[in-house]
Amino acid sequence: MSNNRVSRRQFLNYTLTGVGGFMAAGMLMPMVRFAIDPVLQKAGGGDFVPTDKKVADITDVPERVDFAFEQVDAWYTSEVTSTAWVYKNGDKIIALSPVCKHLGCTVNWAGSPDHPDQFFCPCHAGRYEKNGNNVKGTPPLGPLDEFEVREKDGLLQIGKTRPNTLV
Amino acid sequence: MYWNSKDVSVFLEQKEFVDTAVIPLLLIDGQASQLKQNASSAEFLMALTAFIENQFKGRVVLMPPITYTKKSNYQQLAEEWTETLSEMGFKHLFFVSSDMAWGTEASELNVIYTPSIPLENMDQKLRQSVLDDQLRQIIPVFANRWAKNGQ
Ligand code: FES
Repeated sequence: MSNNRVSRRQFLNYTLTGVGGFMAAGMLMPMVRFAIDPVLQKAGGGDFVPTDKKVADITDVPERVDFAFEQVDAWYTSEVTSTAWVYKNGDKIIALSPVCKHLGCTVNWAGSPDHPDQFFCPCHAGRYEKNGNNVKGTPPLGPLDEFEVREKDGLLQIGKTRPNTLV
Repeated sequence: MYWNSKDVSVFLEQKEFVDTAVIPLLLIDGQASQLKQNASSAEFLMALTAFIENQFKGRVVLMPPITYTKKSNYQQLAEEWTETLSEMGFKHLFFVSSDMAWGTEASELNVIYTPSIPLENMDQKLRQSVLDDQLRQIIPVFANRWAKNGQ
């Protein structure tokens, strides 16, 4: 019986190694994770969201295209629907954000009968040209944002917004 | 804008542009047979007013709903709220409800009446298009009233 007794020294050794090991692991794991994180990341298709708009149907007149994506707020996932104004400039597809650069209302193409070839914001009569450039003298201070776009299987896909590259 | 501290600080800075309050009027009937219907129309009203907020974000503040019962004094509610919101600096008040009683009880409020559509069994897409249709009918009401009472 007395042979099996764990001495004070042994006991401390065991416990300290054990606890120390856990602590070291706790510290090292995140570091390792950070280092190899890119490897662990899911290889997704980027942040493009599919729409059901056929690229062939897009004309040179801006048209509303809705698209839905999942938004994760902390642990809550919800489906959000967004809109873009889409048209063709020659062969290039342009998708503009409908969010007014003044205070964030939703703008409409040809929303004002007096300006049939501009975007119009109903809130404070802000106006934008077709390329998204804000009309001077109306409240907005900058051009409409642009969405990244790409085509997949003949359908339009919409990506992130970026500052307008057309003006 | 929503009635939260972040948006309200924008409202305080931009009072000349943010001049409109949207107020959902929500009836809780209380009768057991009506509960489901009540809840469903609350759901609809909140979804619709959120759509309105999204469309007119830069000019309207969507207030938390005024919730009342059948026993509430409609007339008094109307007066209290009109007074308070006007004192806050709102020039235009849009009350939205699917309770038809507002038309007769307090007609001077000009409540925008919207029939309640049960959204609970719809998928996201259908929901979106139903709400869109309703929004499209409401937009001119806003535009007209804004035009009438000046910018
Ligand atoms: S929010 Fe568009 S003009 Fe003010």
